[in-house]
Amino acid sequence: MSENFSPQQSLQLIQTMIERTKTNLRENSFYFLLWGWVTFGAVLTQFFLKVVLEYRHHYLVWLVTIIALVITIIYGNRQNKKQGYKTYLGESMGNLWMGIGISFFILTIIISAGIGWLHAWPFFILFYGLGTFTSGKIIQFKPLVVGGIICWLLAITCVFVQYDYQLLIAAAAILSSYIIPGYLIKSKHL
Amino acid sequence: MFKDLDPILHSQLRLAIMSLLISVKEAEFTFIKEKTNATAGNISVQVQKLKDANYIEVTKQFKDNYPQTICKITATGVKAFEAYVKTLQEYIKKS
Repeated sequence: MSENFSPQQSLQLIQTMIERTKTNLRENSFYFLLWGWVTFGAVLTQFFLKVVLEYRHHYLVWLVTIIALVITIIYGNRQNKKQGYKTYLGESMGNLWMGIGISFFILTIIISAGIGWLHAWPFFILFYGLGTFTSGKIIQFKPLVVGGIICWLLAITCVFVQYDYQLLIAAAAILSSYIIPGYLIKSKHL
Repeated sequence: MFKDLDPILHSQLRLAIMSLLISVKEAEFTFIKEKTNATAGNISVQVQKLKDANYIEVTKQFKDNYPQTICKITATGVKAFEAYVKTLQEYIKKS
């Protein structure tokens, strides 16, 4: 390769190379859609089991998140291998959602041990809001930021309604923070 | 002609490698090879030069029984890259 290249060619080369490392943010849509549909399906099934069928162990439906977790880990590892590089952006997103995931787990313990499940949903929706809002700010994608704000408003609303209807509010929160932004990311070239 | 330009960076392949590494946290050797379309031998030589200048860090490890070389830009490398781009911009302004 020649070393006699002009400053213009140099800048051009830098630009081309940086362009090639641009993270394809559309890949994030996989996680949003996977978790969006799994949790949306789970919350509506729980509503159906509890309100319509009056089944006592309606909460067992949430065990399905274990499958989603396994898929997330396998898919994430495969993507990392395929990509061959790590970005700070990708890592921040991963760490944020890992933190939110751990918070959900801790919250489950706190609620089971003390607060009681009747008051659980406002807290879960609050965390959905935090994760979605921050993700939106990290990847600079407005629908996620808006989805996060909607979640926070729904978390407040949740406090004033009965448990059964809190499930429907949770479904609305999932729709606005995971599913709708997930499809918008997928359809967009970022 | 371009005497103020850092000679370590003012070489197409080394500049290409540095430009890739500046925008990521770390990258595998195979990724650099794929994006620069250069030969493994040539990249090895240039990576070594960048490493000697302390512009990049090179870690060799095993992943799933395959050797893996990971390159990462250092703080010195970032500084040199920024200074290089600044000098380039001055040249372009003058011309």
